[in-house]
Amino acid sequence: MSAAHATVKSVAELKASEPEYQTAVRKIVRSHAVNELYGAQVYDEPAIALAPNPYLKWLTCRIAMEEYGHHVRFRQLGEQIGIPEEEMTPKGRRPLSIFEFPLQTWEEFCVVKLLADLAEIIQVEDLADCTFLPLRNLAKVTMPEEIFHSQFGKDTCTELVKTPAGRKKVQQAIDRYYPMMPAFFGKKDSENNALYRRCGIKQRTNEEMRRDFIGRVKALVEGHLKLKLPEIAEAA
Amino acid sequence: MTGGDAASGVLSAFLAEMNRIPWFSSCGTPLSAAETKTAASYVVALGLGELPVAGIADWRDAQALAQRPDWSRAWWDAEIGAEKNLHRQGALHFGEDDVLAALSEVTEAASSIHDSAVAALARAHLHDQGLAKAAAGAASQACHQAALAHLAGAGETHPFALKFRLFSGGRWPLGIVQQRCFVF
Repeated sequence: MSAAHATVKSVAELKASEPEYQTAVRKIVRSHAVNELYGAQVYDEPAIALAPNPYLKWLTCRIAMEEYGHHVRFRQLGEQIGIPEEEMTPKGRRPLSIFEFPLQTWEEFCVVKLLADLAEIIQVEDLADCTFLPLRNLAKVTMPEEIFHSQFGKDTCTELVKTPAGRKKVQQAIDRYYPMMPAFFGKKDSENNALYRRCGIKQRTNEEMRRDFIGRVKALVEGHLKLKLPEIAEAA
Repeated sequence: MTGGDAASGVLSAFLAEMNRIPWFSSCGTPLSAAETKTAASYVVALGLGELPVAGIADWRDAQALAQRPDWSRAWWDAEIGAEKNLHRQGALHFGEDDVLAALSEVTEAASSIHDSAVAALARAHLHDQGLAKAAAGAASQACHQAALAHLAGAGETHPFALKFRLFSGGRWPLGIVQQRCFVF
């Protein structure tokens, strides 16, 4: 499906492309700009106070900066392609549902990094093959940091589950946040996703990405951490 | 000049200074008398009294020290309290939105400190993404705090000005553990 659309190499070429393609690029850039900022504000910045020692506080500080930096990069691309600034901040856009559940514990932050950053990686992996080159390049630039954030979640959770108390808190955090994750990938048969695939911006359906996510999380949570995943509805 | 321009204007020299700093270049070398005095003054200025200052020999020791469970919560809380006071003063003078906009410029400028941390670790024959990011996070926090001090018009004896001076000299102040201030 994506192979049907020609590569668009620059912002100038985008402006000369068909209106549907421009709409699709604007929608996805706006979505990433907003959600990266939400992530930094709702999870990363508050987690600095919750981190148990200075090393983890400073590391979390840097992670917050990197997530904010992703927002800045998407926002800059958004400005170049004509998205009004107010549409690229949380004030102007409704957040994903997960952002309505603010952090209560350090263990929750580690689980959010484990789960939500893996979901972000799956989304960005799809963009790494997209037909709009500036967006493809942006995905490739942000990917190493997203991988580190997800690995941070895995490493910290691996440490935490070594004690019975930590194990219990990580399981509670998984029980709280995992059921929200399938919605992160959007609705089944989503019109937006169909548009993205028609334009070659995304390669996979929401369902395919969701299934990929669930499979990878299962390996991490049940295979690696030896914890349980709560039951979730198959379709979002 | 708008409030936003005024806040950013106050920080323009500071932003230029940030770009000239040899981040982490002195880590591991013995502390000079002047650095020891600056660190001691920083602790006093935070209201934590007179404490001895100690150096740290290498990156792994610094990493281990920053993860010790007996670190001083009073030190961290004193810094957070000072940050809140400065932020309040800055917002009163320039307005909240303009202070945030000016601080965002500092955050964006601080993003390149990570490269200096990676380079400093490489000179020590270490490759540790987490440690480089933690060091960069600490330095970025110090930039944020020093910027707040500038916006609030605090002088050179403010604890955040003193802490930033240590970073400016290529150091990494690691905080207080067991009633001793450690500087790498």
